[in-house]
Amino acid sequence: MNFAHWKKTGLLLLSVVTLLALAACSSDDASGSSDGGNGEEPDKITAWAWDPNFNIAALELAKDAYEEDLDLEIIENAQDDIVQKLNTGLSSGSMKGMPNIVLIEDQRAQSFLQSYPDAFYPIGDYFSTDDFAPYKLAPTSLDGKQYGLPFDTGVTGLFFRTDYLEEAGYSKEDLTDITWEKYIEIGKEVKAKTGKDMISLDPNDLGILRVMIQSAGSWYVEDDGKTVNLVDNEPLKKAFENYKAMIEADFVKANSDWSQFIAAFNSGDVATVPSGNWIAPSIEAEESQAGKWEVAPIPRLNLEGAVNASNQGGSSFYVLNIPGKEKAAEFLGATFGSNEAFYQDLVLDVGALGTYAPAADGEAYQAENDYFSGQPVIADFSEWTEEIPSVNYGLHTYAIEDILAAEMQNYLKGKDIEDVLADAQAQAESQLK
Amino acid sequence: MSKVMKETGLPYTASKKTLGRRLKNNYIGWLFILIAAAGISLFYFYPMLRALLLSFQSGMGANLEYVGLDNYVRLFSDPTFIAALTNTFIYLLIQVPVMIVLALFFSVLLNDATLKFKGFFRTAIFLPCVTSLVAYAVIFKYLFGVDGLINKFLMNLSLISEPLDWLSDPLLAKFTIIAAITWRWTGYNMIFYLSALQNVDRSMYEAAKIDGASSLQQFFYITVPMLKPIILFTSIISTIGTLQLFDEVMNITNGGPGNATLSISMYIYNLSFEYSPDFGYAATVSYVIVILVVLLSLLQFKVAGDDK
Repeated sequence: MNFAHWKKTGLLLLSVVTLLALAACSSDDASGSSDGGNGEEPDKITAWAWDPNFNIAALELAKDAYEEDLDLEIIENAQDDIVQKLNTGLSSGSMKGMPNIVLIEDQRAQSFLQSYPDAFYPIGDYFSTDDFAPYKLAPTSLDGKQYGLPFDTGVTGLFFRTDYLEEAGYSKEDLTDITWEKYIEIGKEVKAKTGKDMISLDPNDLGILRVMIQSAGSWYVEDDGKTVNLVDNEPLKKAFENYKAMIEADFVKANSDWSQFIAAFNSGDVATVPSGNWIAPSIEAEESQAGKWEVAPIPRLNLEGAVNASNQGGSSFYVLNIPGKEKAAEFLGATFGSNEAFYQDLVLDVGALGTYAPAADGEAYQAENDYFSGQPVIADFSEWTEEIPSVNYGLHTYAIEDILAAEMQNYLKGKDIEDVLADAQAQAESQLK
Repeated sequence: MSKVMKETGLPYTASKKTLGRRLKNNYIGWLFILIAAAGISLFYFYPMLRALLLSFQSGMGANLEYVGLDNYVRLFSDPTFIAALTNTFIYLLIQVPVMIVLALFFSVLLNDATLKFKGFFRTAIFLPCVTSLVAYAVIFKYLFGVDGLINKFLMNLSLISEPLDWLSDPLLAKFTIIAAITWRWTGYNMIFYLSALQNVDRSMYEAAKIDGASSLQQFFYITVPMLKPIILFTSIISTIGTLQLFDEVMNITNGGPGNATLSISMYIYNLSFEYSPDFGYAATVSYVIVILVVLLSLLQFKVAGDDK
């Protein structure tokens, strides 16, 4: 009897010890997070970004351009990894291991700013927001405070093969300031005359829809960034119709990932690439096609108020609310925030087009690009940048897009457009509370 | 001898001194497992408990608040979750039986005493499961691409007239995922059967042969019953594996087209990292997997008639 009793006591003891251990651990956690905001000033400032040829290169350039003495460590991570690390790190309440500066895609920014209040440091005092393209300010600020320093623009253009278009009987003028309907018409002609596809699309990526609707100043959510705006969203409806018309016109070359997308135009299989300007280096990578490409403004939706300018992607720098934040903000403000000469180098050395308006008058921006038949590509892009309608991307771009992607499949199979958008609206409303 | 027997057999009648020693021994025993037990509690049970608590909360990122059973109610009206659940069950119901049967088939073939190059075949079939999940998934993606090897092969054989959209047709995309998992895991299950077959007494087959049983009869009346515990074991781990399916879907189709190949685990990932983070609801969906694993394992035990 005694023995059995002891067994139980032993178990009990064990669980008590374990519980104590747990309690000790969890209280450690708690104290760890509470002093996250105001510790020692660190010697080193860290920055996280992705894409070594673009964002990392831009940061390196900024580091060289910065006159103060600053020990800046630039760490390259894949964008998905940064999103994950920020989410897990910030939600744990512990700021340990977080960088001082982080690059966040504009369409994700609001989600971070609102999910983790106080995790980011307002940097509006370190630069003048008036100097930047207006469409970049809404996604990078919250409650009137500026948190992000706008970096690259995702201004879109219609890259096209001059030789294919010529063969089909079209010149650059025929592609300038057109609607998507006209684009589809031209696409059919190109396919018939040259046998080449007009465009390469990933059926899982509705990025082209976002390009279309932003040209009409619309988004998946209303201006408050929260209210789901799918049903009765005329631009979105038009965009769906255009998308389906493209698929049915049989000039879409399907791709299922980035490398296949690149291969589609590098191999000469498609005649046009409507995309953010950041695709230019990938097009230029195929040297045998030099002189065969030009860029026209992106087509617009056939609606009143729609413009031939839109945006795809683009990101901004944020400063985390941890020791070293002032140093980090000063660094950003003195380089990306105000240094015109730096922006000229950025265009020349990295090919990165910022959204800092005063830089557009610089010499580097006017340079003619031989690959694009002598077109002053950068100047054209920065002109279009100023026309991009400003929209509030809100919180749920990617969640809504997954819902739309599922409904798009139904739409392509013949479901009525009104039902498609109504169902998507209902689903989004129930999912996003 | 008899003294030892008496001591161990009847502890309560032992003298006070031996009891004391026993307790001391017992203590040392507890001490030995204490570290492991504390470790498991800390790194398994505690997170599980926290996840359970988390599943009763909702909100964006760090703004979590308790919402009671709201998350669980939300599951039933969440079309994306229902789509993910349906997909997962389709994978489960088609892929697990196909794989188990294939693995059994290969293992019986390889167990044939007269087979030459046994080592080579065994290695060849087992090799897929030493590959990294992501690496093989990416290769499958390219194999099944519109310009991929599979389409080229089928076209050259004139089996199809134009390339199939393996990755962007809802039905074919599911097939691609199932083909990939089957390729990856069949060899793994086969090894279990092969080793279990080593323990089946050959004299049983000989006796059956003398009695005039065909190979098929031998397979169904000797091999399958003898392997029953292993078949049960492999079907349970395969079921659990399929419920946790993530890498293949993420890398081959990214859940698409639409959400035609979305798995539950991938939905959890999306809820946490792709959309505005709602860790509370993501934890709720995770607990659905836990509940499903428990239920399906119980069911399999019941069906196999093995209550132990």
